[in-house]
Amino acid sequence: MESASVPAPRVPRRSRRRSLLRPLAFMSAPMAVLLLFFVAPMVVMLVIALQYGILSGQSGFTLSNFTDVLGDDLYRDVALTTVQIATAAMVIQLLLAVPLAYVLAFKAGRWEIPLLLFFVLADELNPMVRIYAWRMLLGREGLINSFLIDIGLIDQPIDALLFSKFAVIVVLSTSYLTYTVIPIYAAMKAIDKNMFEAARDLGAGWWTTFRRVLLPLIAPGIFVALLLVYIPLFTDFASPALVGGTEGYMLGNVVNDLVLETGDLNGGAAMSMLMLLAAAIFAVIAYRLAKIKQLEQ
Amino acid sequence: MARGAGPVALPSPPVAAPAPRVRAGLGARARRRLPGIASVALVVIVLVVLFGPVLMLALFSFNDSSIISLPWEGFTTRWYEAAWNEGQARDAVLNSLLVASIVATVSLVLGTLAAWGLTRLRFFGRGLAAGLHGSVLVVPWLIIGVAGLIFFSEVGVALSLQTVGLMQLVVTFPLVVAIVSAGLVRFSRSQEEAAIDLGASQLQMLRYVVLPQIAPSLAAAGIFAFAWSFNNFEISFFTGGFEQTFPVWVFSILRQSENLPVVNAASTVIAAAQVLAVFGAWLLIKRLSRRGGSGGDEAISELMTGAVR
Repeated sequence: MESASVPAPRVPRRSRRRSLLRPLAFMSAPMAVLLLFFVAPMVVMLVIALQYGILSGQSGFTLSNFTDVLGDDLYRDVALTTVQIATAAMVIQLLLAVPLAYVLAFKAGRWEIPLLLFFVLADELNPMVRIYAWRMLLGREGLINSFLIDIGLIDQPIDALLFSKFAVIVVLSTSYLTYTVIPIYAAMKAIDKNMFEAARDLGAGWWTTFRRVLLPLIAPGIFVALLLVYIPLFTDFASPALVGGTEGYMLGNVVNDLVLETGDLNGGAAMSMLMLLAAAIFAVIAYRLAKIKQLEQ
Repeated sequence: MARGAGPVALPSPPVAAPAPRVRAGLGARARRRLPGIASVALVVIVLVVLFGPVLMLALFSFNDSSIISLPWEGFTTRWYEAAWNEGQARDAVLNSLLVASIVATVSLVLGTLAAWGLTRLRFFGRGLAAGLHGSVLVVPWLIIGVAGLIFFSEVGVALSLQTVGLMQLVVTFPLVVAIVSAGLVRFSRSQEEAAIDLGASQLQMLRYVVLPQIAPSLAAAGIFAFAWSFNNFEISFFTGGFEQTFPVWVFSILRQSENLPVVNAASTVIAAAQVLAVFGAWLLIKRLSRRGGSGGDEAISELMTGAVR
C-alpha cells in the first residue's frame, strides 16, 4: 500500500481514509447521546410495558398492561375527550393561521418582520406563565368574570370559563399558534405572486383563487403544521392539569396519574407506548401527505 | 382580505400603468396598501389574545392586594421582594438558567457536528442516522419524560438536575441539527471546494467560508435551544426528582393553591427577560447575516422558513 501510493495521486487514498474517520469524528458523539438517552430509554419503557407490575405478584412477560389500558372504558372516554380537545384546538389554529400567514406573506409589507418576531416571542414566552395568565383571567373570581359583573352584563360568575374543555382549548390554541403559522407562511413565501394575478386575469373570484390556487400550494405547509402541532396537542398534560378540571382530563393526565400518583409504572409505560404509536402513525401519514403534495407541484 | 382589496384597488392601476416595468411590483403593492380592515383586525385580535393575558398578569404583579382581581388596590413592588426572598422561586429560576445554559451549549456543539456529518459526509447508515435525529423531534416530550423516569429508575440513577439536563439534551440538539442543516443546505458546496482548491486547509475553509455563512443559523439555534430547555416542563417534571426548574415550580404552586401574586411577580420577571432575549437575538442575527453577505431581514425570514421545510 505504501509503495503503491507513490505513483497514485494522493487524493483517493486520503479520501478513503477520511471516508471512515471523518464520519466517526462528527457522528459518534451525537449518535452516542441518542442511543444512550433516547433509544435505550424507549426500549426499557417497552420492556417495562411488557412486564407484570411488582404489585401483581407475578413475574415474566405479559400483554396485560396493554389489554388493561385498551379495555378500560374510562380511558376510552378520556381518549375521546383528548381527540375532541386536540382537534378543536387544531382547527381553530388552522382557521387563524391560514389568513395570518397570508397577511404576513403578502400584505404586511414592512410589518412582516416585526410581526414574525411577535410570533417567535409568543412561542418563546414560558408556557407555564401563559397557562397561569389564562387561569387568572378565566377563574370564578377571575378578571373576565369580575369585569362582566362590574359592568352589569351578568349577575353570577360564569363557572364554565375555567376547569372546562373550553379553557383547555383556549390555552392550547394560543400555545402552539406559532408552529401552525410558520410552516404555512413558509409555503406562502414560496408562491409566485403572479399566480394570483393570473387567476384574477382568468376571471377567478377570491374563493376560486383560494381553493384552486392558494390552498393546493400551501397544502404541504398545512401538513407540516399538523405534524408539528397535533402531536404535542394530544399529549399535552400541563394545560389540562391546571385549567381542565375533571371535564378536560386528557391522556397526558392519565399517564401522569399512573406513573406518579398510583405508581403503576407498567401501566403508565403501556399507555405511553400506545400514545407513541398513535403519534408515530400520525407523523408518518402527515409527513407522506406533505411530501406527496410537494411533489405534485 | 382579497375581497377588501378589490374595490380599494380600482383607482390605482391607471396611475401604475404608465410607470416603467420595474415599478410594476410597487404598483401592485400600492394597490394593496390599504390591506383592508379585515387584515389589521385579524392581526390585532390575535396579538391581543396572545399577549393580553400575560400583560394582565404583569399588571397585577404590581397590585397591592393578595387576591388577584378587581378592583385595583394601589401600586406596590412588595410581591417582587417576596418572590426574591422566597427561596424556592429563586432556586427554581437559577436551576433553569443553569440547566438551559449547559444544554444550549452542548446542543450547539453536538448539533453542529451532526448537521455537518449528515449534510456533507457520505457514510454507511447515513439515512438511518438522519431519520433517528428527525424522529426525536416528533416524539412527545411527555413520553420522553416518562421514558427517562423509568430508564433512570431501572438503571438506578437518582433523579436530579443532571438527569433533567441529559433528557433535555436529547430533544434539544436535534433541533439545532434541523436549523443548522437548513443553513448548510442553503449555500453551495462549490464555495467550499473552491476554497480547498485555492489552497485553504480544512480548518481555514471552515473558519472563513462556512462559519460566516452559517453564523445566523448558529445564533438562532443557540437561542432556540436555550428557550426550549428553559421553557421545558414535561421532561423536567418527570426526570427532576425533588429538584425544580422554574416551570415545575409554577406548576407545583398552581396545583396546590389559588393564584398567587408572588407567582405573578416571578413570571413577569421571566417574561420580561424573554422579551429582551428575543429582541436581542433579532439584532444579533440581523448583524451576523449582514456580515455573511445577505440582507438582514430577508435572512431572518429565510432562517425561520428554512428550518420547518
